[in-house]
Amino acid sequence: MAMAFLLDLGRCIGCQACSAACKTGNELAAGTQFIRLIEQTRGEFPDLSGGFTNHRCYHCADAACVNVCPTGALYKEDGLTRTSRDICSGCGYCVEACPFGVPEMVDGLSSKCDGCADTVRAGGEPWCVVTCPSNALEFGEREEIVKEARERVTAMRARYPKARVYGEDEAGGLGVVMVLPDDPDVLDLPVDPAPGALINTWTGIVQPATLALTAGATVAAGVMGVIARRNHMLELKALEEGEEA
Amino acid sequence: MATLERPVLRYRRNQRIVHAVLATSFLLLLLTGMMLLWGPASRFAGGGTSRLVHRIAALGYMSVPIGYLLADRAGAIELVRESFRYDRDDIAWFKHMYRYALGRTREMPPQGRLNAGQKLHHAFVIVVSVGVVGTGLTLWFLKSSLGPDWLAFTTLMHDLCMLGLTLFLVGHLYFTYVYKALSGMTTGYVDAVEARLEHAKWVEELAASPQPAHATDPAHAITKTNKTTTTTYRKGKKQ
Ligand code: HEM
Ligand code: SF4
Ligand code: SF4
Repeated sequence: MAMAFLLDLGRCIGCQACSAACKTGNELAAGTQFIRLIEQTRGEFPDLSGGFTNHRCYHCADAACVNVCPTGALYKEDGLTRTSRDICSGCGYCVEACPFGVPEMVDGLSSKCDGCADTVRAGGEPWCVVTCPSNALEFGEREEIVKEARERVTAMRARYPKARVYGEDEAGGLGVVMVLPDDPDVLDLPVDPAPGALINTWTGIVQPATLALTAGATVAAGVMGVIARRNHMLELKALEEGEEA
Repeated sequence: MATLERPVLRYRRNQRIVHAVLATSFLLLLLTGMMLLWGPASRFAGGGTSRLVHRIAALGYMSVPIGYLLADRAGAIELVRESFRYDRDDIAWFKHMYRYALGRTREMPPQGRLNAGQKLHHAFVIVVSVGVVGTGLTLWFLKSSLGPDWLAFTTLMHDLCMLGLTLFLVGHLYFTYVYKALSGMTTGYVDAVEARLEHAKWVEELAASPQPAHATDPAHAITKTNKTTTTTYRKGKKQ
């Protein structure tokens, strides 16, 4: 069943509680963070407003990181993007491919939010969700979460006319459905985070074609080699007999 | 009869060493590269050892041109010069290549030290290696500033270069097997009958020169025989 987070940037007060709970709960090494709160000043003087972006893995359904990961260290489960650091090769492809710039290299291996895999599998809620004091975070079945996000946007429209849901369809549908008080680009979010055509050409066409052609050529050469070698031995024999005669 | 002739020196010791470095590093690069490309092999990439080996082997691969020039300058220059120069017999050779691929040399036009297919192989390896090294160095040193599109483009080109090189390698090994040519790169010598059959112009050249350029060891120099080459190719005749 697809699960999802709700992230309401209209309600985030930048208190850092989620980030701290995540760090403690997941026992992250010093200097590692899965959630970063960045304070923003929006609008033009004198119409200034303040707010926070909540930078974290958005668990794309069409996850570029999973697409490019050669080892399967990143994979989808219940709508979330999980990580197995023990099989990560440290190639860094995910770091470059993510449209949100999420994964980071820590001790030579990829590091990012895995949606509190152990806690959630055991029936619990992610650390950040449990801790948020201002109801900016929820966790549940994605369908429910999308419904809730729409309701919150409708309620917000009076105060924030540009309010919208982000992540319902973006990048195949995010596992973090967001309530935005303003346009995505104002909030440092890409308007279209879908993986680019080049990435799909690489992993969807070039890589499989490379493997198929290499395998095909090897098999063909093996079969043909036996025939050709026999022909050549025959011509050598004919040559010898011809010269002796 | 021809089999009584001594084997012909084809590759000097240093040339064989350079070739061994090239072959070993290429196979290591292929093996460790495949671990990032082929799902079932990717579990050996965990931890990043294969990526380290890929870089060490890349140093070996990139050292080959310099190493060749230092170890056997004349040989290196001759290789490059011959690989990019094709005469009329070479063109005719390509036209009848399917016969050669099927193990029937006797119907092929006479060839020099390198036959047309070998020239093409060597030229291709030289050109495409520039591509594989360029994209490889980009991935090595600039990867963290590429972004999604340039990462995809660079790896995609790296993959295509390696595909081209690997397909040519399959052909290279194929002809080595069909024409029993391995000894040229292990002991350095090839069978005189094979040499006469597949490189008639080269053998004539060797026999004609008073001090054969290729046979530094006089004991193995080819002696001129009054027998002409055994190729039965006739120009312009449909066969
Ligand atoms: C000699 C110069 C070369 C250099 C400097 C080089 C370097 C690299 C680097 C840095 C990567 C990125 C992966 C990583 O970070 O570990 C890579 C990937 C790769 N290399 Fe090379 N390489 C070279 C030659 C070759 C050759 C000759 C082959 C094939 C025989 C090859 C096959 C591959 C493959 C298949 C990948 C994986 C690409 C993918 O994931 O689609 N490389 N190489
Ligand atoms: S936000 Fe980035 S790291 Fe998270 S699932 Fe999407 S592509 Fe992967
Ligand atoms: S760094 Fe690790 S997780 Fe990221 S793409 Fe490479 S193998 Fe996958």
